[in-house]
Amino acid sequence: MKKLTSLALVLLTVVLASVASENTFSSAQAAYDDGRYAEAIMLYNKLLDDGVDNLEVHYNLANAYFKDSDLASAVWHYRKAWYDAPRDPDIRANFHFALNAAGAIESQPSITEKIVTTLSLSEWIMVAVGGYLLLTVLLATALLVKTDRRNTLKLCMIPILLVLISAAGWWHWNQHHLNQEWVVVQTEATALFGPVKGSTAHYKLPLAALVRQRNADSKGWVEVEYDGKRGWLQTRYISRVSP
Amino acid sequence: MRNFRTATISIVGGLLVAASAFAADVQMNIKPELISLLDRSLLTIEFIDGNGNAVEIPEVDGLNIQYQGQSSETRIVNFKSSSKVIHKYLITPSKVGDYTIGPITAQYKGGEKELAGQLRVIKPEDDAEAQKVSEIMFSRITSDRDSPHVHEPFGLELKVFIRDGVQIDGNFGIRGGMPESGMDGELQWKVSGRERTDMNDSIFNVYTLRTTAKTLTAGTFSFQPQVQLNVIIPRQQRRSWGFDDPFFGDMFGRQETRPFTLDCNRLDLDVRAVPMERRPDTFTGGVGIFDFDVEVGPKKVKAGEPITVKIRIAGKGNLTKITPPLIEESHEFKLYDARSVPTDKPNEVRFEQVLIPKSGTVTNIPAISFSYFNTTTTDFRTISQGPFPVQVEDVPQQTAQVIATVPSTIQQETKILGRDIIYLKPSPKRWRFKADTTWYRTRLFNVILILPALLLILISIITSRKNKLAGNVALARRQKAPKAARRNVQRAEQVMRQGDATGFYEALWDALTEYFGHRLNLAPGEVTLVAVTAKVPKNASELENLFHTIEQRRYGIQSAESSKDEMKLLLREFTATLKACERRKL
Repeated sequence: MKKLTSLALVLLTVVLASVASENTFSSAQAAYDDGRYAEAIMLYNKLLDDGVDNLEVHYNLANAYFKDSDLASAVWHYRKAWYDAPRDPDIRANFHFALNAAGAIESQPSITEKIVTTLSLSEWIMVAVGGYLLLTVLLATALLVKTDRRNTLKLCMIPILLVLISAAGWWHWNQHHLNQEWVVVQTEATALFGPVKGSTAHYKLPLAALVRQRNADSKGWVEVEYDGKRGWLQTRYISRVSP
Repeated sequence: MRNFRTATISIVGGLLVAASAFAADVQMNIKPELISLLDRSLLTIEFIDGNGNAVEIPEVDGLNIQYQGQSSETRIVNFKSSSKVIHKYLITPSKVGDYTIGPITAQYKGGEKELAGQLRVIKPEDDAEAQKVSEIMFSRITSDRDSPHVHEPFGLELKVFIRDGVQIDGNFGIRGGMPESGMDGELQWKVSGRERTDMNDSIFNVYTLRTTAKTLTAGTFSFQPQVQLNVIIPRQQRRSWGFDDPFFGDMFGRQETRPFTLDCNRLDLDVRAVPMERRPDTFTGGVGIFDFDVEVGPKKVKAGEPITVKIRIAGKGNLTKITPPLIEESHEFKLYDARSVPTDKPNEVRFEQVLIPKSGTVTNIPAISFSYFNTTTTDFRTISQGPFPVQVEDVPQQTAQVIATVPSTIQQETKILGRDIIYLKPSPKRWRFKADTTWYRTRLFNVILILPALLLILISIITSRKNKLAGNVALARRQKAPKAARRNVQRAEQVMRQGDATGFYEALWDALTEYFGHRLNLAPGEVTLVAVTAKVPKNASELENLFHTIEQRRYGIQSAESSKDEMKLLLREFTATLKACERRKL
C-alpha cells in the first residue's frame, strides 16, 4: 500500500511539473512573439533552472538571446541543442546564422566528422544496440539452423559493421568530454602563446566564437583551437558548452 | 659497524643535497640595457641548476613587455654538469626614459630572490625630436557616413602616417580594435594610395587603406584598428668578424624588421535600424538605392508549361541580403520557389521564379513590387513592374503531367535565401529533466543488454554438447548409463516392495547390463563379468559378487537368509558399487 502511495505521489509530481513547464513554455513563446525578448529569456531560463533539459528550450532560448543581441549566449544554447539533434536543420541554420552575425569563423568539419555527427550519441548507442541484437539473432540462427550457415555468418558482417561505425560515433561524441567545446562570452579575448599573463598575443577571438579545448593547466588557463590556430586563454573569457 | 656506515652515507647525502641547493640560483638580465626608441631589448630570467616557472612582470608605463617562452641549456665542463631554464621577455618601448623593471620575487630551488633591472631608452638617431613612437608613426580612421543604416554599405578610410626617414617594408596588418560582433563578414582592407604631407613641421609619408563595411545589427560600432607594420632598423648587436665597416654593414644587409602596433583614433558610428513604421509588406530587406526590372517569358504557352519570371535588382546597397520580391499567389497557377542566378556584374542580383498556369483562363502575370529602404531619403520606396500579359492555351488533359515533372529540376537549383533566424520550436511532446537518467545508463537497460549474450552462450553450449554427442556414440552412451541404471534400480525398488523377488532380480540384472553396456559401449550380449572386470579391475570383487548373486537368484538358487533382507542388502551393495564405478574414470 505504501509503495502504491509513493508511486502515485511520484506520478502526480511528474504530471504537475510537466503542466507547469508547459505553461512557462507557452508564456515564453508569447513573450517572444510580442517582441519582449528579455522576458522570454527569463522564462526559458526559469525552465532550465527547474531542471528541464529539452532541446526545444535551448533552441528557443537561443532565438530569444539572438533577438536580444546577446550572440554569445545564443551560440552557446544553439550548440547545446545541437548535441541532442545534430541533424536538425533549424538548429544548424540558426547556429550558422548567429556565428555569421557574430563575425566568428565556423570550423569546416571533415567528411568523417560529417558522417559521425549525422546521429547523436544516444542514436549511435541505439544503432549499436540494434547491431548487437541483430548479431546475436544471426549467431543463434547459425548455431541452431545448420542449413545455409555460411550465408548466415556472412550476414553477420552487417551488424558487426553497424557496431563498428557506432563505436566511431560514440568515440567522436566522447571527444567532446576530452576536448571540450567552449564559447567566447567576454569581449577582448586574446589567445596568447603561453599560459602566462603578459605572454605574446597570438590572435584575437571574436565574441561568440566556438572554440575547442586542446589543453589546460591548473591556474585557469585553457589552450583553445580556433580557425586552425592554438592559443592560451583564461577561462573567464569562455563558457564551456560541452556536456 | 653498520651504524657507522649508515651515518656516513646520510652525512654525504646531506652534504650533496646542501651543495646542490647552494649551487641553485636565479638571475635577471636585460640585453641591451641602452636602446633607441625604435629598438627592442630582451629580458631573461635564468633559473640555474633548478627549474622555475615564468614570472609575471609588473606593467611599466612606456614599455610593452611580452613573454616569449622558455628554453633550457645543459653544460658539461670538466665532468661537472650545470643546467639552466631561461624565460624570455621582449621589451618594446613606446617612449624615451630611464626605466626600472621590478623588483619581482622569483621562487627557485634555494628559496626566494628579488630581481630588478634597468633599461634606458633614448631618442632615435635620425629623429632628435621624437619622444614617443606615436609621434613617429600613427594612424587615423574616418568614415564616409556618420550614421549608416543596418545592411547599408559604408566606406572606411585608414591613413597610416610614417615620419620621413623611417623605413617600413610596406606590409600592413590589422591586429584588432574592430567591432567583435554585428559586422557582415570580415573587412578587406586595400592600400589605395600613398602621398607625402607636412604635419607639425615634419614630413610624413601617408599610406591610405580603404574598405567597405556593413553591419547586421543596429547600435554603436567602435573602430580603433591596431595597425601593425614592420619597421626596418639597422641591427644593433653585431658579431665582430672584422667587417664592422658601414660598407660591409650595408653590403651584408645587416638590418632587421621589427613589428610595431600604431596608435589610432577611435571612430564611433551609430548604426541606425531600418524603421518598422510604414514598412511596406513587399519590403524584402533591401537597404540602399536600387533599380528593379522584371522580364516574363515565354508569353505564349500551353496550360501546364512553365513561364519564367526574371527579376533583376541593381544599385548600391546590401544586394546579397535581398530576398526575391514575392509574386502574388493565385489558384490559377502553381508557383515555385525563386532561385538566385549568378551574374557577372558586381552591383546586381538576379532571381528567377517559375510559375505554371493551370488553365487557359490565365491572361496575365500579376504585378510584382519591390520595396527597399532608401538610405539617402531615409524612407521606403516601392517600384512595381507589370502586370505582364500572357496567352495560355487550354490543354486540360496534359496539365497534371507537366506540373509533376517540372519541380524536381527547379527545386534542386533553389538556394536557401535566409535573412533571419528560423522561428521557435513547438512545445516538446515529453518533458525531459536533467535529473532523469538517460535510457542507456539505466540498470534495466544494462540487464537487458546482457540477456541476449547469455542466451547466445546457452544456445552455444547446448548445440556444442548436442554436436559432440552426435559425433561420439561412446560418449553419448556413457551419458545414458546412469539414467538407465537409475531407471532399473527404481523398478527394482518398486517390485521389491511388492515382494516380487523374480522381478527384483530381473530389474537389477537389467540395471547391471544396461549400465555397463552404455558405460563401456558394449553390445547387449557382450556385457559379461569378464568384459566388465577387465575394464573396472579395482571393483572386480564387488562386481563379481553382484554378477554371481544376481545370476544365481535369477536362475532360482536361493540363499539361506530371508529373501526381503537379502534383496535390501543386495540393492544397497548394488547402488554403492555402481556409484563407485560412476566416480571412476574408465
